[in-house]
Amino acid sequence: MKLEINGQPYEVESDGDTPLLWVIRDELGMTGTKYGCGLAQCGACSVMVDGEIVRSCVTPLDSVANRSITTIEAIQNDAIGRKVVAAWVQHQVPQCGYCQSGQVMAATALLKQNDKPTEDDIAAAMVNLCRCGTYNAIKAAVQDLSGQKV
Amino acid sequence: MKKLLLVLLLIIVVVGGGLLWFVNHKPGSPFETAGTLPLPSTEVLARGEAVARQADCVACHSLPDGKPYAGGLEMGTPLGAIFATNITPDKENGIGNYSLADFDRAVRHGVTPDGERLYPAMPYPSYVKMSDEDIRDLYAYFMHQVQPAAVANRASGIEWPMNMRWPLALWNAVFVPSGTYAQKPQQDAQWNRGAYLVQAAGHCGACHTPRSVTMNEKALDEGGSAFLSGALLDGWYAPSLRQDVNTGLGRWSEEDIFQFLKNGRNQHAVVFGSMAEAYNNSTQFMSDDDLKAIGHYLKSLPGDASRDGTPWVYAAAAPAQGQAGTRGTPGSATYAAKCGFCHGTDGRGRSPWIPPLAGSPASLIEHADSQINVTLNGSARVVTAGVPDAYRMPSFRQQLSDREIADVLTYVRSTWGNHGDHVTQQEVNALRQHTDPASSTPIILQMR
Amino acid sequence: MNDIIRDLQVDNLQVDKDLPTGAPVNLSRRGLLVGSMGAAAGALVLGFGLPVRGARAQDAAKAVAPGTRVPAFLEIRPDNTARFLSPFVEGGQGVFTAMVQIVGEELDMDPKSFIVENAPTGSDYLVVFGKMRITGGSMSVRTSYDTMRKLGASARAMLLEAAATRLGVAADKLATEPGYVVHAASGQRIAYGDLAGDAMSLPVPAADSVTLRDPKQFRWIGKPVERLDVLDKSIGKAVYAIDLKVDGMLHAAVQHAPRLGMSVGAVRNEASVRAMKGVISVHHLPGAVAVVSERWWHAKRAVEALQVDWAEAGAKPVMDGIRVMPANFSTADFAERLANEPGDGKDAEKEGDAAAAFASAKTVVTATYHSQYLHHAQLEPPSTIARFNADGTLDVWMPNQAPEQFQADIAKRTGLDASKVNVHSPMLGGFFGRHFLYQAANPYPQAIQLAKETGRPVKVIWTREEEFLRDPMRPMAAVRFKGGLDANGMPVALEAISICEGPTEGIAGHNKDKLDETAVEGLTGKSYAIPNRRIAQIYVENPTMLAYWRSVGNSMNDFLYESFLDELADKGGKDPYELRMQLLKDNPRLSTLLKTVGEMSGGWKRGPFTAEDGTRRARGIAMASPFGSHTAAIAEVSIKAGEVVVHDVWEAIDPGSIVNPAIIEAQINSASALGVSQVLIEEAVYKNGMPVARNYDLYPILPPSRMPRVHARIIESGEKMGGIGEPGLPAVPPAVANAVSTLTGERVRRMPLSQYTFNS
Ligand code: FES
Ligand code: FES
Repeated sequence: MKLEINGQPYEVESDGDTPLLWVIRDELGMTGTKYGCGLAQCGACSVMVDGEIVRSCVTPLDSVANRSITTIEAIQNDAIGRKVVAAWVQHQVPQCGYCQSGQVMAATALLKQNDKPTEDDIAAAMVNLCRCGTYNAIKAAVQDLSGQKV
Repeated sequence: MKKLLLVLLLIIVVVGGGLLWFVNHKPGSPFETAGTLPLPSTEVLARGEAVARQADCVACHSLPDGKPYAGGLEMGTPLGAIFATNITPDKENGIGNYSLADFDRAVRHGVTPDGERLYPAMPYPSYVKMSDEDIRDLYAYFMHQVQPAAVANRASGIEWPMNMRWPLALWNAVFVPSGTYAQKPQQDAQWNRGAYLVQAAGHCGACHTPRSVTMNEKALDEGGSAFLSGALLDGWYAPSLRQDVNTGLGRWSEEDIFQFLKNGRNQHAVVFGSMAEAYNNSTQFMSDDDLKAIGHYLKSLPGDASRDGTPWVYAAAAPAQGQAGTRGTPGSATYAAKCGFCHGTDGRGRSPWIPPLAGSPASLIEHADSQINVTLNGSARVVTAGVPDAYRMPSFRQQLSDREIADVLTYVRSTWGNHGDHVTQQEVNALRQHTDPASSTPIILQMR
Repeated sequence: MNDIIRDLQVDNLQVDKDLPTGAPVNLSRRGLLVGSMGAAAGALVLGFGLPVRGARAQDAAKAVAPGTRVPAFLEIRPDNTARFLSPFVEGGQGVFTAMVQIVGEELDMDPKSFIVENAPTGSDYLVVFGKMRITGGSMSVRTSYDTMRKLGASARAMLLEAAATRLGVAADKLATEPGYVVHAASGQRIAYGDLAGDAMSLPVPAADSVTLRDPKQFRWIGKPVERLDVLDKSIGKAVYAIDLKVDGMLHAAVQHAPRLGMSVGAVRNEASVRAMKGVISVHHLPGAVAVVSERWWHAKRAVEALQVDWAEAGAKPVMDGIRVMPANFSTADFAERLANEPGDGKDAEKEGDAAAAFASAKTVVTATYHSQYLHHAQLEPPSTIARFNADGTLDVWMPNQAPEQFQADIAKRTGLDASKVNVHSPMLGGFFGRHFLYQAANPYPQAIQLAKETGRPVKVIWTREEEFLRDPMRPMAAVRFKGGLDANGMPVALEAISICEGPTEGIAGHNKDKLDETAVEGLTGKSYAIPNRRIAQIYVENPTMLAYWRSVGNSMNDFLYESFLDELADKGGKDPYELRMQLLKDNPRLSTLLKTVGEMSGGWKRGPFTAEDGTRRARGIAMASPFGSHTAAIAEVSIKAGEVVVHDVWEAIDPGSIVNPAIIEAQINSASALGVSQVLIEEAVYKNGMPVARNYDLYPILPPSRMPRVHARIIESGEKMGGIGEPGLPAVPPAVANAVSTLTGERVRRMPLSQYTFNS
């Protein structure tokens, strides 16, 4: 099957029902995208498909054929992604960091769709779990980015 | 099923003892004079096993951790629990002493060798239509292929006088058809095979046909328009298997039906709830020809537009919250956070792995029970050819309140062209009280 | 270090290309680049490539005290950056940054110029009380602070010495500025990186010969220095155990027996599973089956397909040190049993004469409180890579909080000498107490067995479901409280009998002659001036495996105690805040803390009151003194649609003295989140000997929508340095519960609150 990840074409051999997560992590060896639950509960595995956030652990490979996938590895190639990362550093968001690839992806996807998210918009979009409880820092970082020109 | 015993009480009061003979007599069996049976061939045994799969005996008569067919499943009734019995050839606890005729009377007529009536939780009103040959093969299978298990039966929790079984004879006389399935010469062989499987061993109507106040299925074959028109049972709504465009199989091809029964999934749906069990233990093991025959037969059952409503047409949802300048409902926000990652913001799922909610019968039927149940509890793992599913439905009972579940399902049922009824907090609460979360571990009932 | 990680392949694109084959490879990108640069330049640098065996050679000599041998910790590179090997593992608590703040302060090197990695096993790193090494108990900084300062100062002294030789001047004529030795008289500056080679050959100065910096001149200690790992963690470059890969590695997934203690009986469909796509082999392990494959997903699908007849535990345990889970175990029944267990228990703390005081008290209040089992639920599922090497050594990569303990255990299991077992401790995806040596709770024995059986390196990853099946839990407890009030409503006597098993005795074994302090901490150690007290424990062995959980005994006991204290206040007609003030009036440190948290919240007001948005709200107060620090917390709550909403948590902490206020604030946030999570929604429920929840669906953890605002303030009383990672937690659950009790008029006596339905 043909995939486009971070602007690069890939030919992968996994079966169509394989979760995108394991194709990315195992077959392609990009481990920035994390496995937390495999059940769409935590969001650690979030990636963007055509600019929309998806949870790759519940995204069958055959549903993303020929679509454009962005993983955390390419986050700084994206103008908004770069801003998000800068805000993450400024607010010193991560603790253990395990959820943060997914959090950064979610924030980037939100800001791509909506450059001035309100508090409610942020609450609706930033739903990934963080066991370290970095939620307030995440919120502050995203709020900082709200309304900023890219 | 639940009201059944109350109804029986009425019957006891009304009917006098004059019918004593009737209620104690044993129905006849064509096998009464069978005598000693020859040792069955492997072919007969294989056919018997296939019949056991069609009839899904294991679903009620085995427990996940128990010995095959040693009995088990608890069925709650308002009067107390009843337990499926040991049907291994154990002479002490099971059916080891049953003659073929005894076996026949139990399976097709719900009468034990000592004349006791079985509760119609045993679907003998369907099994009565099974052919003599199938009964003979099934008997051979149970006697020779099933290991005897010395597991005692559990007494029912129903107390006197409600535990008297004889009034069931009267119920049977009124509601149970007599005679095996009769071929319809005007239909082709495939149709007849499908009809036979659906009506007899498959006992599809036990879940999919609505019941009257007297708890009998309203129709037992295609002669009644209520047949397989959808019914509520034990917290699940078994949808119509007729050609209803919204709530039935109107949009499914014969091939779709075949795929569903064979693989547990197709572009429209994935088995869940009670059907996941029927699939795991029964339908996937049927032959391709039999499954195609079932599809063929079901496609011949007309829908009812007046019951089914305006045909569903997909409509794009209003953009969800989180996108510029929009405001969602509480239901849409919950959908985006909890459901959309799998079922898609467009409601179309990731077929055939994750089912669509847009246009699914469960989203269009007035009863939301199945959706409430599967949201509260998740669903059993779908095990195809021994391999558990790659994706499963989680349980949300610990994460979402009754209100939130009502809101999100109301959203699901009114978006993408869906027009099912809205869901109330009370409905969710009622099911929350009476159900448990599904196991995330695959449950495989063993037949040997 | 380099020899251990030689074959680690970092699947990181740009970096990969730059790698000279066989060169030392580091796990983090920056480390990797710098590391290979150092090697390429052939620079002699302090401690570069310090082999583990070198450390062991030192063991044999027994010459060196842990934490003193500079080269074991520090490598200064030609580009004037430094690599520091941390004896403590980083798991989000910021210890890597704190370590180089301390070392950098004395070494005179900006923390920003460091990279930090976890140190390998070795006696040099047993810096906790000079004899052991764990990352836990909020002990890292406070137990190693002095050692690390001296280490930095020693290194600086060595650099000065080297510079003195080179410049031909006396060392006392030299000074340093960050990264440089300067000779003021001649205006010469030499970079540390240039001196490192010379410095390396010098002996480490005697510990008492170095002078430490005056704390008044600290530039980094006590400052909100930015954490070193934040960027990597924000761009997916931080590498956790689950991300590692070694050459030739296979993947494995396991299916555990549904109840601990059961063993593999017949496997019905092994042949057909062997034939599944990608399956290399099927293995029977103690209490589990495993499938090995080139891809983890194939292994996972296949192992789930295995139909195993699990055999009940026999007389011989299937693994050492485990408890056999009974088939009928239920947490609901167990809670009942604990509450009704007869007896008075064994004294843990006794003051005055409680019995007499109760007899003469005006009012006696009794109540039974409950805490629940909890999962760690760290976001990174357990994994381990095991590799047997041609030279007879074994490498094991695994998340862990105590490398030497695992090393010893692995040596025991494999029969290898400990010196042949290399334990690698990558960054942790959350720890919360999960990564200690708990029997049957970690995949390394499986990985080792599979590596042996397949003859190749194997990585085992547990699914979340397998993790929740084997995660050892924070104990549950029932506590019977009795309080006596005098005529003025002041508490004069308090008795608390905790019926429970402490985590330490649960892990290490119960000693009937000793009391497990971790069972009762938080009931004991309270500073309130209640003259007659008796705290006791009735030991009841649990059928479950137990573990430490963030803030250990305090995680539940402060909830139990502080809630009952509010109950006493109510009975005595006192405001709970005022009552605490009175009970602490002779304790200036805690009075200050209580006052501070009151001020932070805009002045104590209990409520219920109506907030600006029209909601009815109330506030609760609670205090705790865990891990050498002291805290006071106020929580504000309302009820919405029957559920508790926590709006704000104000928390003041006095850890004596501090290293990094920004990290402390982050830790208070983090600990508050876990405390709120525990009190609102968390509970591990068992039915029929099995956990009901096997993933986050049925074991929810705090979602962002339920996170309160957290306001933290640090008070540096100058007392002995206390812990940071855990102390923020224990005061939060009771503060929330007390607020809810005030708001609803219904006394909350068990966690989590989700089991109550409140009227909005
Ligand atoms: S790993 Fe995909 S949502 Fe948790
Ligand atoms: S930073 Fe640790 S889970 Fe989010």
